[in-house]
Amino acid sequence: MTTSQVQDAYIVAAVRTPVGKAPRGMFKTVRPDDMLAHVLKAVVAQCGGLDPAAIDDVIAGCAMPEAEQGMNVGRIALLLAGLPNNVPGMTINRFCASGLQSVAIAADRVRLGHADVIIGAGTESMSMVPMMGNKVSFDPAIFERDENIGIAYGMGITGEKVAQRWQVSRESQDEFAVESHTKALKAIEAGEFEQEIAPYTVEEKRPDLASHEIREVSVVRDTDEGPRRGTNAEVLSRLKPVFAASGSVTAGNSSQMSDGAGAVIVASEGALKRFNLTPIARFLGYSVAGVPPEIMGIGPIKAIPKVLKQVGLKQDDLDWIELNEAFAAQSLAVINDLGLDRARLNPLGGAIALGHPLGATGAIRVATLVHGLRRHKLKYGMVTMCVGTGMGAAGVFEAL
Amino acid sequence: MNNGKFMVRKAAVLGAGVMGAQIAAHLVNASVETMLFELSAEQGDPIATVAKAVENLKKQDPAPLSVPGKATSILPANYAQHLELLKNCDIVIEAIAERMDWKSELYKKIAPHLAEHAIFASNTSGLSINELAMAFPENLRRRFCGIHFFNPPRYMHLAELIACAESDTVMLDDLEAFLVTYLGKGVIRAKDTPNFIANRIGVFSMLATMHHAREFGLRFDVVDALTGPLIGRPKSATFRTADVVGLDILAHVINTMRETLPDDPWHQYYVVPAWLQVLIDSGALGQKTRRGVYQKVGKEIHVLDLARNEYVFSQGKADDGIKELLKRKNPAEKLAELRANPHPQAQFLWAIFRDVFHYCAVHLEAIADNARDLDLAMRWGFGWNQGPFELWQGAGWSRIRGWINEDIASGKSMGEAPLPEWVKQAGQGSNGGENGDITWGVHTTQGSYAPSSNTYRPRSALPVYRRQLFPDRLLDEQEQYGTTIFETGAVRMWHTGAGCGAEGIVDDGIAILSFKSKMHTIGSDVLDGVQKAIEEAERNWRALVIWQTEPPFSAGANLQKATERMKSTEPPSALEVLAKKLRKTAQSAVLKAARSLNLADTLMAGKLAEVEAMVAQFQQTSQSLRYSMVPTVAAVDGLALGGGCEFVMHCDRAVTTLESYIGLVEAGVGLLPAGGGCKELALRASQGAKDGDPFPLLRNYFQSVATAQLAKSAEEARELGYLRGADQVVMNRFELLYVAKAQARALAEVGYRPPLKARNIPVAGSTGIATIKGLLVNMREGGFISEHDYLIGTKIAHVMCGGELTPGSVVDEDWFLELERAAFIELLATEKTQARVEHTLKTGKPLRN
Repeated sequence: MTTSQVQDAYIVAAVRTPVGKAPRGMFKTVRPDDMLAHVLKAVVAQCGGLDPAAIDDVIAGCAMPEAEQGMNVGRIALLLAGLPNNVPGMTINRFCASGLQSVAIAADRVRLGHADVIIGAGTESMSMVPMMGNKVSFDPAIFERDENIGIAYGMGITGEKVAQRWQVSRESQDEFAVESHTKALKAIEAGEFEQEIAPYTVEEKRPDLASHEIREVSVVRDTDEGPRRGTNAEVLSRLKPVFAASGSVTAGNSSQMSDGAGAVIVASEGALKRFNLTPIARFLGYSVAGVPPEIMGIGPIKAIPKVLKQVGLKQDDLDWIELNEAFAAQSLAVINDLGLDRARLNPLGGAIALGHPLGATGAIRVATLVHGLRRHKLKYGMVTMCVGTGMGAAGVFEAL
Repeated sequence: MNNGKFMVRKAAVLGAGVMGAQIAAHLVNASVETMLFELSAEQGDPIATVAKAVENLKKQDPAPLSVPGKATSILPANYAQHLELLKNCDIVIEAIAERMDWKSELYKKIAPHLAEHAIFASNTSGLSINELAMAFPENLRRRFCGIHFFNPPRYMHLAELIACAESDTVMLDDLEAFLVTYLGKGVIRAKDTPNFIANRIGVFSMLATMHHAREFGLRFDVVDALTGPLIGRPKSATFRTADVVGLDILAHVINTMRETLPDDPWHQYYVVPAWLQVLIDSGALGQKTRRGVYQKVGKEIHVLDLARNEYVFSQGKADDGIKELLKRKNPAEKLAELRANPHPQAQFLWAIFRDVFHYCAVHLEAIADNARDLDLAMRWGFGWNQGPFELWQGAGWSRIRGWINEDIASGKSMGEAPLPEWVKQAGQGSNGGENGDITWGVHTTQGSYAPSSNTYRPRSALPVYRRQLFPDRLLDEQEQYGTTIFETGAVRMWHTGAGCGAEGIVDDGIAILSFKSKMHTIGSDVLDGVQKAIEEAERNWRALVIWQTEPPFSAGANLQKATERMKSTEPPSALEVLAKKLRKTAQSAVLKAARSLNLADTLMAGKLAEVEAMVAQFQQTSQSLRYSMVPTVAAVDGLALGGGCEFVMHCDRAVTTLESYIGLVEAGVGLLPAGGGCKELALRASQGAKDGDPFPLLRNYFQSVATAQLAKSAEEARELGYLRGADQVVMNRFELLYVAKAQARALAEVGYRPPLKARNIPVAGSTGIATIKGLLVNMREGGFISEHDYLIGTKIAHVMCGGELTPGSVVDEDWFLELERAAFIELLATEKTQARVEHTLKTGKPLRN
């Protein structure tokens, strides 16, 4: 194992909201900037000794950074969270890898010795800002070259293309989806997510039209909304393909649209000492790689070997892989192509059950991974995902 | 309410079953806020049952609601919590299960909560209104009556109105006016006899059909083939109708007749046939249980074969000879030949006609006021093209009477009762007859025969009917629409002139244009006619209304003519060359391209140029409707497709019935709207643009056009953008012309000026096209649309976005019109579009290629 850096970057705290379904789920009225502020507050609260004014930067990932999560949601949310205004903030976008990318940038700033404490985070309300944003607009140039048409492809079509080319059957996709739900439900029951989830109190004011009074409703949400009991292969086999008339990708074997946020504090060794912080994990490395946009789902096939080479680990060294289940089709293509060990993959379920709030997912799954590795006394773990318009991203962590 | 006019601010329907919920739906269609009552749910939310019924309304097909959004105006209620709110309701319609004890109990419960002026009506179909009235407090009975809606109430025109002995006559008149204008119904006053008029005759007709089917050994599917459109009745004919209605319901109605009509001469026939009882006992109740007389096996329809006592593949057809016979126009010959023809199918048909005629004649006096009421009830309630008396009279009254008498004498007829005396003698000296031995009939220019008074009853004099300039015509009623201004082979321009229908609107200066083409399609000749009418209207009239004497408004451009011109004696290569050439010059008008072609292609180019000339003529006509110096009003009922829709969009105002089905459906035949439709939508998108960006609206419009979406009601047409805010929806199609003329007059009175020409229309341009292509690419890759659909979609996008311009560029209407023409010709020049057009013309169905 090697790292090319001046110092190590440690994860000292990692939290997330539970994940709600979009667009009609438990967080449908909760703003993404509020969700981000919530996890920023919670993650700082986990580090008792940390002086908030010492935070060098807040980096927030967001895949559709507009409207409710527009402007610079990273900076806005940290102010809303009550962090001192000397703390700067920015928003970055690498679609589904945004939350992981923000942790990687945070770690890299620390590893270079240019910062001591940075929060890497992510937020996304797919209830409020739809996939592709509020105003879809394609560049005419996309259609001038055939190889660029994939830019206009919806994610579902790319899933179908991958299923075709990697010969992933409908049955295996459905079976994979069932497994995701089963594992997620089991994990919830076992309390596996308790450490990472910062419960969110949803407060709503609804009109009572009869009495003309405002009814205040307040509900504490502490559990992921996505996992569905009773999901089985038979039920899933009845769903119709959504993206292609004679395809295999259905709503049941695709990731769910979701709302959620996550935040991770990255610190230098100096900061650990200065603020008396306990490291949970060490950040080892991160890679991204490009692939043809029309088969974006295979991105991890390129990114995983790249990051393993970077950190000097073998695939077999990984004890835990969080592979974002954008589609069962692409997950299986990646698994089969690289020969990933399914026993070590998504042990607590994946996005098909747990949901996928685009730009937040990376930070959320880092929280799952670093707490999970420690709880289960495992060492090396990875968070990886495919990325729209044809990319893959993978980050490696070592539990401490 | 006795002083002043009757108003319905709010209504209530009691009972959220199939009929109750649908009646509530139709009330909100008419913008009457309606409370829908049901028993409290046994557990949980007490209004859950009724809320579910309301939710179901959004899913049913055919849709009870004009648009799903109307459902929010149905207020769920239950008897435990909300009875006191009944006091705000001006009309309360009871539609609970047909049980006298339940109804009577309910009446006692709600009576104290009714407003003093409220009308309370029962939608019973079987119980006696007078008996029901007994369950109602005596002092309230004057406000009580029966309204019998037909299922589905939104679509069935008939509503039977039944008074009880105490019903207040003013109340009944008010209610009739409300039902006619606001709910759009055809009201027939029925007497309080079992099953009233339409069901009494309709159910007897079914019994007679069953009886004779057995007698002549005809299988059910053969009977349905014979008793459907071939004899002017709905496609579901006899047994399919029974399956839809529910075999248990049918049996219930038959039993009701058996119990309540002990003295009826046909009483012995009011029996549920053994086979029907067997089906019911086995749980085969028709459509609702997926098995009845028919059963769907996979994709095949199977029919019960009584001879073999099993379901067999249904392929019942009428005998070809009989079919030919039924195609004859002359009803006298038709019936004579049926009677004379020994073929069992002919004998069967004659027998059911004869027995229904016989039954109607014997019972007319007891169940209805006059022959017109009975005939209209059968038309409006059962969808028959003609009522029984019309059929009889059309075939020669005396001759048919003679034959019926012969058959009674020889024991062939089901009933033995003699025809009533009036059939022979009443009405002498009326308008006289038509062929040979005929001297009279029940329908005359003075009115229709009413046995009780032995007079010819004119149509109702209620003020509401003054709004019906041309009510539903019966046989022998004058079929003349006003005074002709000019007439061509394709159109007739006319005016209602003096003495027509409504008083006070004589010589109002409003000209009316009606098309004469089949389905009112629009070809060059119609376009010429419209242009000529606009010129004439500008010279001599105050406004122009386009109204057809019967639906549809228009099935669109006459594609037959367009494709005929495309049919080439040249090898197809010429076409392809041209198509390629044209595709490259998408921006320019077709002629420019055509001119540059070599000699071998001149012939084809000539044909295309001819088509383009017609398209240009269409566009000019649309523009004339918009920019003429007189207001133009489209009065729409039924289909307004393609070019028909474009006319609607270009008139200054549209007045449409709720049952208007409007859409730009050209994409279905591989074309695009080129009579100004794309232009108009682009214009509307720019006018409705928020922050100057027309694209969000444009994208919605694109979707409707590219998917050839047809609005399923006038309200939906408004949501889709085909109708505008100021366009009016009329509930009763017979009031359409009256309202359209009123709108035309109002526009003229304002001091009409055509709108100023739109000269700065911002376009979505190249980015808009690219963004739509992004949607299309996904549909193509997903296999949801074909390569040709993709081409059509991109052409539509191209036109609606104003071509490959820098977004925000500003153009005028002519810019869009030229794009429309070019794209239309380009698509027409493709083989696949030609195949689509031909297939649709031949089969009436779309072709996916």
